Amino acid sequence: MSDALSFDSNDSIKKDKNKPKYQNAEPDDKNKNWLEEIFRRYYFYHYSQLEVGELINEHEFGFRLFDGKIHRHLSFNDKKELYAYIIKFSPSDIFISSARYQNPKAEIDQKGWNGSDLIFDIDGKDLHLECAQSHNLVLCKDCNLISKGIVSTCEGCKSSRLQIIDMPCTRCIKSLNGEVKKITEILCDDFGIDKEYIFVYFSGNNGYHIHVVDKIFYGASAQKRNAFAQYLMCKGYMIENLGIRKNTEGVLIPMQNKILYNQGWRKRIFESMHLPIQNHRIDDKFVKKYHRMQDVNSNNISDIISTHIFDLSAKIDPNVTMDIHRIFRLAGSINSKSGLIKAFCKDLDSFNPFADACLIGDSSVEIESKLNVKISLKGKQFSIKTGTNSLPEYAAAYVVCKGIGDIQ
Amino acid sequence: MCYITKYNLVVKFGNKDLAKYPFLKEAFSYITKYDFKLEDLNNRDYLHLIEKANKKIEQYLFFGRNEYQINYSKTHETIVQEEVILFLISLLFVKSISIDAVTKKFALLESMRFEKYLISDLNTSNRDDKTIKLILYKIFEDLFNTKILLEENVYNFYKIRISDYLDHPIAFQEKEWNLVNRTIHNGFVYLDGNEIVRLFRNELYLLIIDRIKKMNIDKVPDTIMAISKSIKIQWEQMHPLPNPTVYKAVTPPCIQHIYDQIRKGENLPHPARLLLGTFLIYSNKTLEEMLELFKRLPDFDEKITRYQLEHLAGKKGGSKKYYVPSCEKIKLENLCYETKVCHGISNPIQLVRKKSKI
Repeated sequence: MSDALSFDSNDSIKKDKNKPKYQNAEPDDKNKNWLEEIFRRYYFYHYSQLEVGELINEHEFGFRLFDGKIHRHLSFNDKKELYAYIIKFSPSDIFISSARYQNPKAEIDQKGWNGSDLIFDIDGKDLHLECAQSHNLVLCKDCNLISKGIVSTCEGCKSSRLQIIDMPCTRCIKSLNGEVKKITEILCDDFGIDKEYIFVYFSGNNGYHIHVVDKIFYGASAQKRNAFAQYLMCKGYMIENLGIRKNTEGVLIPMQNKILYNQGWRKRIFESMHLPIQNHRIDDKFVKKYHRMQDVNSNNISDIISTHIFDLSAKIDPNVTMDIHRIFRLAGSINSKSGLIKAFCKDLDSFNPFADACLIGDSSVEIESKLNVKISLKGKQFSIKTGTNSLPEYAAAYVVCKGIGDIQ
Repeated sequence: MCYITKYNLVVKFGNKDLAKYPFLKEAFSYITKYDFKLEDLNNRDYLHLIEKANKKIEQYLFFGRNEYQINYSKTHETIVQEEVILFLISLLFVKSISIDAVTKKFALLESMRFEKYLISDLNTSNRDDKTIKLILYKIFEDLFNTKILLEENVYNFYKIRISDYLDHPIAFQEKEWNLVNRTIHNGFVYLDGNEIVRLFRNELYLLIIDRIKKMNIDKVPDTIMAISKSIKIQWEQMHPLPNPTVYKAVTPPCIQHIYDQIRKGENLPHPARLLLGTFLIYSNKTLEEMLELFKRLPDFDEKITRYQLEHLAGKKGGSKKYYVPSCEKIKLENLCYETKVCHGISNPIQLVRKKSKI
């Protein structure tokens, strides 16, 4: 893998023009050296947190080091080899392929693809949440000024070269959980996947990865995976599927007595719209309710349906799902964007990423914060002031990883 | 003929059923058991079958019609044998003509013929008669490697496993067949009777093309070679290769792609026909010029095409004249093949006007 390849916001590797944070860092860069040491210590004591299966030698591994260099097409014969590599290099990010190969070290077209787990990626950014407007930060790439809230130009130098720093809150996590539940429900009800084959992971920053480990999908081509993604997103759904068609005046009318198997998206949409369909038939009751809805909404049924579809559809990145060669953050490893780990969520409702994914030590260190900011980790609130603050290592790592403070 | 289904029921195929589905292995065994060889077709005993196949192909290719009738006035065994041999002769004819457009037109009309039999069988079989449904299962399992099941409790919907469904090219070809527009439940794609028949036709079309492609032309008997030569000459006279300069000078890439498909004898989906029709109308082509182009489509019907083009031009069925779809719409329909020349346009017709001005 060349240095031109970097990491995207979804914690998976792809071509990206943005430079990694520590690329070309000076060897004596304090933040880099400190994080490298903290990460190394974490992996030394918590190597068992890394989720690698028995077939480790069939996966491709990728690493980003703190100097920004990326190493891909690596493989390890066993866990010990992997741990030794990690402790030696203390990478900022560790990735593993969802695919298994005959020869994982080879270039993509020579690897001999055996199959790949089916993965769905949910990114908090794609939910466009209102709360994110107030708590996210913006870093100016020209003058390094950090502003609160979402702005289009830098408050200091008016530059438009800005980078958003995600500072997810509990409301963001709640919304993300809602997306996970939506996807899990579609996978179980429509795709017939058993819940025990669906594994949900917190990405370590502001999203979730849903892994489906089922032999039915293991060998699916990129084209088929794309069809799954489009289905979950309900992209390209035709209104005619709801037994509705345009009459000669262009008005949408229900096809009375039409028999439609009331399952899948149809059932979901009808339920969301409170349109009753009995015995899989568009009957009088349905038609009456439909016309009432049409009258109340000035015939704007099409817009109403689109709104329901938007609310019900899964907000995933289809490119991640269809990419059968992509490498993903390794579960149990630290996300260098936050200092939190990619963690398995056994029970989504009780999972708290700000506590359950925060595994770095708690000895006290001093940081120089660039702004006033409040964070909550391991059940503790930290009101960080501009200037010098004394924080436990896990909170300091969060601040430094976010780029809003420097280690002293 | 008996076979064991996945339900472990013993089902009897009536001979008549096999005559209608000569592509099935069971039907083919009717001729292999008598040690039939392709060279036998040079024998005068088979002349009437060669003539019948010739007539069928001429109807398909030159009139776009299917008037073929199975002759049921013989013994059951003979009917099946003759139908299988006729099917084989037809494939040999098409193979030796070796023109892509002919192969595709034949495959489409032949698959439509079998589709008609299947619809009629499905309609005439009563609700409890599972035989015809089992034939359907057999066809899908043997020929298309797809297991279909029946959801008996819900209006007899058919169901196919999602992964099997996505093995069928149609799932990616037309919007209404995309997974998102199918009813999915518990790992299965649900299809009603009409949809399963359409899937059958599409798959059979591809299968016939595949069988023709895999045939060895060296084995085509002389009698068939001679007749197919004359069909080929007649076809080439009726369909001279289009002069590329006529269209290429001012052709947007999406339209060029449609021309290329037509040249290869591909069947066009509805949105592509609409795009081509409106584009030609706004390029000031005459109705006759447009028909000349549409004539190459495997399912061409002059009467219908003439009406549809006049309808698009606002001359029939109301006064509305249809405009050429926008680039955005064309993209949504997967018909866009954008190149540098498309820069700055929002409708393919702009490209023609821009070039015309130059």
